[in-house]
Amino acid sequence: MSLRPGVGGWLQGKTVRKGGGLSTSNTRSSTPQGVQSTSSTIFGGGVKDASGRTSEYFVRRRHSMDDQCPVCKSDRYLNPKLRLLVSSCYHKMCESCIDRLFTLGPAPCPICSKILRKLAFTPQTFEDLSVEKEVAVRRRIAKEFNKRRDDFPDLRAYNDYLEEVEDITFNLINEVDMPQTEARIAAYRAENAALIELNIQREEAYAQTLREQEDAEKRDREQRATQLRREEEEEREEREKDKREIIDKLETSDKNAAKLIAKSRANALKRTSARVASTTTVVHSNARLLRTRAAKDIPDVPHVPFKDNYYGYEDLYQLRPAGYEDFFSEAVRKDREGIMRAGGYRIEEAWDRALRDAVADLDLPPLMGLAPKTTSTMDSSGDVIMAEA
Amino acid sequence: MSPAVINEAPPSEKKLSLYEASTQCRNWRYSTERLAQIRATLNEAAVTIIRTKIETDEPGSSRNVSFLTPNEEVLLVKLYISKIGQLCGYFRFPEEVEATAITYMKRFYLQNTVMDWHPKNVMLTALFLATKTTNNPISLEQYTTHIPKTTPNDVLDLEFLIAQSLGFEFAVWHAHRALWGIWLDIQNLPDGAALASAEYDAALARVRASRLTDAELIYTPSQIALAAFSLVAPDSAARWITLKNLSESATLLAVLDEIKSMIAHQGLPPDVESVREVDRRLKLCKNPEKVVGSKAYLARKKEEERIAEEKRTKKAELQKAAVNDEQDPFGTNLAPKKGLVDYDDDDDDD
Amino acid sequence: MDAVEKANTERQRRWVKDKKVGEGTYAVVYQGREASTGRKVAIKKIKVGQFKDGLDMSAIREVKFLRELKHQNVIELLDVFSSKTNLNLVLEFLDSDLEMIIKDRALVFLPADIKSWMAMTFRGLEFCHRNHVLHRDLKPNNLLIASNGELKIADFGLARDFADPGYKMTCQVITRWYRPPELLFGSRYYSSAVDIWSVGCIFAELMLRIPYLPGESDMDQLKTIFRALGTPTEEEWPGHTKLPDYVPVGQFQKFPMRDLFTAASADTLNLLSKCMIYEPRKRISAREALTHPYFFALPNPTFPSKLPKCSTHFSARPLDEVDGNVQMNSTGPGVKARSLKRKLTSSDDGSEGRNRSIARRLDFSKHTPGS
Repeated sequence: MSLRPGVGGWLQGKTVRKGGGLSTSNTRSSTPQGVQSTSSTIFGGGVKDASGRTSEYFVRRRHSMDDQCPVCKSDRYLNPKLRLLVSSCYHKMCESCIDRLFTLGPAPCPICSKILRKLAFTPQTFEDLSVEKEVAVRRRIAKEFNKRRDDFPDLRAYNDYLEEVEDITFNLINEVDMPQTEARIAAYRAENAALIELNIQREEAYAQTLREQEDAEKRDREQRATQLRREEEEEREEREKDKREIIDKLETSDKNAAKLIAKSRANALKRTSARVASTTTVVHSNARLLRTRAAKDIPDVPHVPFKDNYYGYEDLYQLRPAGYEDFFSEAVRKDREGIMRAGGYRIEEAWDRALRDAVADLDLPPLMGLAPKTTSTMDSSGDVIMAEA
Repeated sequence: MSPAVINEAPPSEKKLSLYEASTQCRNWRYSTERLAQIRATLNEAAVTIIRTKIETDEPGSSRNVSFLTPNEEVLLVKLYISKIGQLCGYFRFPEEVEATAITYMKRFYLQNTVMDWHPKNVMLTALFLATKTTNNPISLEQYTTHIPKTTPNDVLDLEFLIAQSLGFEFAVWHAHRALWGIWLDIQNLPDGAALASAEYDAALARVRASRLTDAELIYTPSQIALAAFSLVAPDSAARWITLKNLSESATLLAVLDEIKSMIAHQGLPPDVESVREVDRRLKLCKNPEKVVGSKAYLARKKEEERIAEEKRTKKAELQKAAVNDEQDPFGTNLAPKKGLVDYDDDDDDD
Repeated sequence: MDAVEKANTERQRRWVKDKKVGEGTYAVVYQGREASTGRKVAIKKIKVGQFKDGLDMSAIREVKFLRELKHQNVIELLDVFSSKTNLNLVLEFLDSDLEMIIKDRALVFLPADIKSWMAMTFRGLEFCHRNHVLHRDLKPNNLLIASNGELKIADFGLARDFADPGYKMTCQVITRWYRPPELLFGSRYYSSAVDIWSVGCIFAELMLRIPYLPGESDMDQLKTIFRALGTPTEEEWPGHTKLPDYVPVGQFQKFPMRDLFTAASADTLNLLSKCMIYEPRKRISAREALTHPYFFALPNPTFPSKLPKCSTHFSARPLDEVDGNVQMNSTGPGVKARSLKRKLTSSDDGSEGRNRSIARRLDFSKHTPGS
């Protein structure tokens, strides 16, 4: 019944899989620890993700003609560069109004009269301001109420904690019982100071590892690219060198030209295969995935070529490598133009079939009498049984 | 690097041979007694039904009708089977087509009676179907143009029925291929005697003869081929059997004798005269419902049409109701449904 | 006749159609279940009587081979029943196919995964070849994946038995990107090697995550192949210039495969190159492939249930025939119907998490889990 650990995760800035919310499917790619370096962040405005990227809300949403500043009533028609910012009391205003009202210092909000400063305005993250507010509240709470499941003796206790958190959050959002709620928060803070601190450090460490992984990957990629370039360079140089050498040798030596060329080619091949053998092919992410896979119970067993239960009479016949006298396949074997050969027709396949048919169940006793036919030793379910008259 | 284990299947579990896994072995294999029983039952059931139909058509007339016996049915089918070879020669269809068509016909008449479906069109359709299933297709028009007194519909009408009667089991293992295999394998005998082509032809003729019998419904293609071969070159056959380590197999030897006997006694096309007599009587005892134009046929068609019409109106009503439902935001009671799917619904476009 | 029809109705009652999940030129696919056990199945209803030449060849082929081939890595035909005008194939229900998995960029493939898929493909294919059946339409789309990760070869609409010596086969088979050069040059006599080429292309695609040899026309396909693998010489491929549709396509140099498949091991490339040998007779067979060192080397092939699974499921959509598909022209009845690809909906076990909104009003009136 508990909230899944991922749910709060996005608020704390963990990356989210591309394509929307967190899923609990059992594909590996959705484990919370997995790094998705190509996530498209859905946060904007002041909300950042673990790597510090942000994107502002209005960039993603097309400028709508309906936007209007509630204070001066100007809209995009008159002012194409209209940009609405949000106050700390969650009221929207256009930049010019903000300028007009607050440049000279703190002033009351035209909508609710709360005293505001100019700096208190931020760009909007979410279309729905109530969401904006809720997000901000949750962020604040999450900073302090950051216990994990492991910190509790049992599930019940954890759930109680979560309920308490939700309760507080609800109150803050809806501005219910504000003084008591603040008191509760203070009380919690006092009691759990140490644990809060510890958890903060844990998260920081995690964010750090994420960043390091990304850097490592980036370095890897660059390294490989440079290495590849280097190798290409080397190859090119070698080829040039070879060419020059050959020309020289042909001039000076009296050995067979073909042999010389063949020798130099062989050398080149040796060099390339040596280089190939030394290239490391294991990618870092592979290793990591392997580790998470190994954690599961089912081992990867060695390959077994054939896994079926069929008997193909292999012990009863053998295709003769030398071929057969066979007037059916005269045309094929005399295939003068090589058309059948070029196309790949294999008479051996036809022979194999015939030979097999010749020995297939040669000693199968026929059915006798009127006993009802038992279904054969077919082991697949869903056997198809013909209706018999 | 060769692995220790090639096949993972537990050694204790009995392996299934490829032939035994085929539909031919699983579903189209009988004992002689069973074949007789099936035919007798089919025949009896048909006679009963037809007699009733004839009675309703013309009360009192059924007394004079002499219905066919199961053996007469077999005779008639045999006649038409023997015609398949001629047609194949004319069209230059490969041996495979001929063999497959014959098999289809035989199997068809283990599910149906001659009095319902005359072998002539069944034969034409079975052959047409066989060209398709063996990858030697011919266009229907091409086909029927070259067969006198045959329209495309004569063939088309029966195709689905035949396929249905076959259970849509189209793959057939043939004895002529097994014979080819023996002929190739003989070359492995210690003194590597290859068969002269004349001998091979003779053996193949025996295989073709076996197609007129029930052999393929009882024995395996390999057994039939070996029997045919044995009739023509008994010594080579015996040596080959030894090569396969089966010379001690009483089963095999008994089977071979049985097949040889079958080929000898039943492998000939039927006497034309006796068949003509049967054909004549068939005209009188055919199931009137299947005879296009007869009273019973028309009555049946009307009945079917009525049922279809009923369904159509019912469907139209349901659709109308559905439309009305949409207008009423709360919907109406769901129309009572028989189940998730109307099993007779197949003929609709959906 | 009535007995046959009655027997059919009996069998028909064993299966229940739940909803339509796809439609093609000659068949409709339903998701359904076995009435008694609830087991999920796909029911392919083939309309009969549409074509002037009677029963459609593709339908015939599918039924013929699926009836006979029962193997772990071949899709299973559970039952066949028919009414007057419809043929219904009851197939096992498979969620996704390899194409979906390859295209799903959120999935990462380990070399062990690729090995596992290739092993299953080869096993299924070897079984077909053992039964002397050519599939002739292998592509990732036709390799279906079951919920337990097993791969199954499907769509036998173009399959056929090996031809008897001297008999011609059509060369208009296999989807263009996976078609071997001998078919592009119009060869009418070929063998199981054509399937191996397709498997090679699929192997490469698994590594590259995009189709290996995507040509835009038959001519362009040849060029693409030669550009990737070098133009074959007469030595490499004796007689190919005599093939019916041979045309010179251009001289391209051979490049080592390592240049493109940078992360692949030597064994991998060895097997891949053996699948892509020009001369069909020299191409590796399925049987040989299964004992190739690639499979025995580490890492071990991933256990099927651990293989990456597609996260997105397609809902019912019209079955498409794109991507270099070819019009099948079998020599006889002018049948052009293509077999279906089945895109099946995700089951009712739900799209958890996908539809959850970011922010919700919290409701404390009752004990909801809050999620």
